[in-house]
Parts: sequence; structure tokens; C-alpha cells
Amino acid sequence: MTGENRILSATGTGLRYVILAAGAFIMVFPFLWMINASLMTAGEIQLRPPVWLPSEPQFSNYTDLLATLPIARLYFNSLFTSGVIVLGVLFTSSIAGFAFAKYRFPGRELLFYLILATMMIPFFVTLIPVFFIVRQLGWIDSYQGLIIPGLTSAYGIFLMRQFMFTVPDELIDAARIDGASEPIIYWRIVIPLIKPALATLGTFTFIGSWNNFLWPLLVVNNRELMTLPLGINSLRSLYSDNTNLLMAGTAVSVIPMLAVFIFLQRYFIKGIALTGLKG
Amino acid sequence: MIWAYAFVSAPILALLVFTLGPILFSGWVSLHRWDMLSPVETMPWRGLDNYVFLLTQDPIFMRSLGNTFLFAIGGVGANTILGLGFALLLNSRIRGRTLWRVLYFAPVITAPLALAVMFSVIFDRNYGVVNNVITMFGLPRQPFLSGPGQALPTLIFIAVYQYVGYYIVIFLAGLQGIPQDYYDAAQVDGAGKFQEFRYITLPLLRPVMLFVVVTNTIGALQVFDLVFATTGGAPANSTMTVVLYMYNTAFKFSRMGRASAMAFILFAIILFITIVQIRFLRDRTYQD
Repeated sequence: MTGENRILSATGTGLRYVILAAGAFIMVFPFLWMINASLMTAGEIQLRPPVWLPSEPQFSNYTDLLATLPIARLYFNSLFTSGVIVLGVLFTSSIAGFAFAKYRFPGRELLFYLILATMMIPFFVTLIPVFFIVRQLGWIDSYQGLIIPGLTSAYGIFLMRQFMFTVPDELIDAARIDGASEPIIYWRIVIPLIKPALATLGTFTFIGSWNNFLWPLLVVNNRELMTLPLGINSLRSLYSDNTNLLMAGTAVSVIPMLAVFIFLQRYFIKGIALTGLKG
Repeated sequence: MIWAYAFVSAPILALLVFTLGPILFSGWVSLHRWDMLSPVETMPWRGLDNYVFLLTQDPIFMRSLGNTFLFAIGGVGANTILGLGFALLLNSRIRGRTLWRVLYFAPVITAPLALAVMFSVIFDRNYGVVNNVITMFGLPRQPFLSGPGQALPTLIFIAVYQYVGYYIVIFLAGLQGIPQDYYDAAQVDGAGKFQEFRYITLPLLRPVMLFVVVTNTIGALQVFDLVFATTGGAPANSTMTVVLYMYNTAFKFSRMGRASAMAFILFAIILFITIVQIRFLRDRTYQD
């Protein structure tokens, strides 16, 4: 390598870091500003030139927020709803995926095509009828209404079926010879072998459900049943002048999820790359 | 095998009740006039009136279709170019790859509603920090989300901000799946960096590109949360999107028939675009 080339490649490397850092700054800035603004007075946020740190952190913003919004309740509702939906999706997807991958039965192809077709249907096409069904069942303002329509996922069944092909038939046959019943085979043999796939599907289902806004917006009017996104939404009109409190509310709902992500980022990203390319 | 039927019965039943049944019902409703309060048996038949009205006499629907297309084209274009660009950067010899990835990925897992609220504050016309910074450099205040010309581009920016990290991760996985031997062979043949990209990276990335373009288009055409919580379709319907208009039609104005017809029109468009994209990107793969 000539000296000139070396200089060129060094500037190239330098430039790469500059671009990456500029991009990362744009990515991080809104979060930092949210935290910053959540600790300022309402007037400080609007100053020009901007103040980059609160002159005196206003922790009272958070106590004010707690007085208006039942944060613990919102967390419970979001966790409970998303948790039950994740368990439901993992169970229904894995058991149906298992049946489609490992059994031969009349109508299997037909039923599987039905599931593939369902996978193509976007949520907005079924929104009105599902809302109508839930209302007819008297499930408006109830956990059933929030949870039950989300308990099955055609995509989940499809994904699980693909992973089930990696479970060796010999293992299943050996268990059968030992006298294990089919549900025992599913529970004791198959489930432990597809744990990584379950973790991936569970993670995506959880994020989707946790961040879901439109469905809870339709089903929930009662403040006691609000999930976190509904809580932030209710703050929008309440605090249109107190952006510091609005930002405190957003921070409270967003930061714990980010912390979990930073801890588990390796699994998140591996899962994305895995299903993204398979799906 | 009895057990197989037992295993698939509950999931299939749930999909029948909450997806397949509803789509048929939705199609039926789209041929009627219905406010959801009157009994289903009594809803008056309207044939294709809802579709005809939407496609010929409803300027807001046309506007929302146009906005939705622009939103999708801008977002998918930017996500594909930036996603691939940053993936290439991260795939080169770079330190701290994990840290970069975490930073770029953080918005992906954040609720769209929370980001919408954050950006409405940041881009506020009068008090937003972005305006407070640019006016320091002598530039005029920008309306951003409250300007008819700027609102949609600002929404595209927020959407790209949210999802580009996801596409970086996907492209990065695709790049890492390309065997190093190809590049070694190309170097022996004296290929430059650009030629390597043009004749090895791009062709071998086509399946990943297909995945990115198709899933991103399908998602972008259904945008709701972001628009609902920033502009609500304003100013002057310049950011009205199809799903938001459908939501308003159904749940504010109780016109279930017309809203269902909107849903079917958008569904048909999504299917059509998906098929075209798959054809286009796949055919090129075979040529190579």
C-alpha cells in the first residue's frame, strides 16, 4: 500500500465514524431531549437559545404526574395484557405448528393454506367486525376485550411450523415407543427443543402488544383499564401547555422498555435477523 | 389422527372467529349502510354505492390515498437506502458495532405513540427545540407538523427515524450471509470496491431487498398511530391517511359500510403492490 492510499483509507475510516456518529446523534437526541425536558420547568423548554440541561432538575414533575395518572395501574394493565397475549400466542402457535409439521391428517394442506391466507389479512380489514363481536359479547372495558382477539397469530403458527421441521422425527417416535401420549410428547420433548424460537416469537409478540394503540383505544374507555399508550394519549390533551409533564409521562412509559432492551439486545437482534429472513 | 385435530382446533377456531369470519362480514357490510347500532338484519343494501362514492365523489378519500402513497414511497425509499448504507458501514472494519446497533435500534422497540408525542414537542412550531436552534443561525421558523407542505415530509422523517434501525439489522444479516470467497475472487480479478458492490453485493442481496421493500410497504400503507397522535390528518387533510380516515368514518361518524369499503380498497391495493413487487424483484434475480 502506498502512502497516499494509506492516507485515503484513514480518511475513509474517519469519515465512516463521523457518519455513524451523526446518525447515532439523531437517533439518541429525541430520547435525551425527552428526559431533559421532563426535568425542566414548562418555560425552560421553550427558551431560545435552548438550555441543554435544566438549571435545577424539577423532580416534582414526576410527582405531579403520579398525582394525575395512575402509572402503576397502567403498568399492570400493559404487563398483564401483553403477558397473557404472549402466553396465548406461544401456546396456540406451537401446538398448531407442531400438528402441521409432524402429523399427517386429512385436510392438513387445506387448513394450512387457510392459515397462510389469514396471514395476508391486515388488521384494519377486520377491525370493524372484531370490534362489533367484542361489543356484542359485552367485552368493552374488560380484559377479555383487550386480550382474547390477540391470543392467536397466523404468523406465529406459520413460524412455529417452520421451526418444528428441525425437531427430529426419531425423537418423537422413540417417545411414542416408550408409551408417551401425544400431549406429553408436545410438552416434554418438542417444547424444550424449540425454546429459542419461542423466545423470539414471544419477544415480538410482547413488543407488538405492549406498543399496540388502536385496539385498546377502541375497547377501553375506563381509566382503570388504560394501557401505557392510552395513558400517554390521555396526557396529550391534558398537558398541551405543560410539555414538561407530557415528557415526564412519555419517559416513564418508554425508559423501562429501553432498559430491558439494552440488557437483552443481543437476543432481540439475533431474533430479528432470524425471523426477518425466514418470514 | 385425533390428536392432530385436537391440536389445531382451538387456533383454527380463533382465526375463524377473529379473522376469516370478520373479513367476510366486513365485505358484506361494505355493500350496505350501517351504523353498528341498528340490528345487522335490518341494514339497508347499497350494492357498490360505497365503492363508487369513494372512488368518484370523495375528495378526502382520494387525498388520503395520495398521502398514504407518498408516505409509503418516501419512507420505503429512505429506509432502503439508509438501511443498506448504514449496514454497509457497520459491516466494514468498525469498532463498537454492538453499541452502534443498540443506538440505531432503540426507536424500533419504542411505542409509535410515544415517539409521535416526543416529536410533536421537538418539532413544535412556536416552542420546539428544533426551531429554537435553527433560528439561532438566522433561519426562519419552520411550521413542520403544522405546515401543509411540511407536515407529510416531517411524518416520513419520524417514520424513517423509527424503523431504519430494523432495516439496518436485516441488511446487516444479509451482508454477513454473503460468502467472503466471492469478494476474494473478485479482488484477484482486479475488481474495485464499486464493482464488488454492483456485481456481488447487490445481486446477492436481492432476496433481502425484496423482504425489506415488501414488508415496509405493507406496513407504511397502514400507518395510523403516528398520524393520529401528531397531526390527526391536519392541516387541511394534508396528512390524512387511509386508515385514519377509515377510523374517523367508522368510529366518529358511524358509517360502517363506507369505512369497510375503504378497508377493502386499501387491502386490494396492498395485495396488488405486493404481487408487483415480488414479480419485479424476483424476475431480476433469475436474470442474474
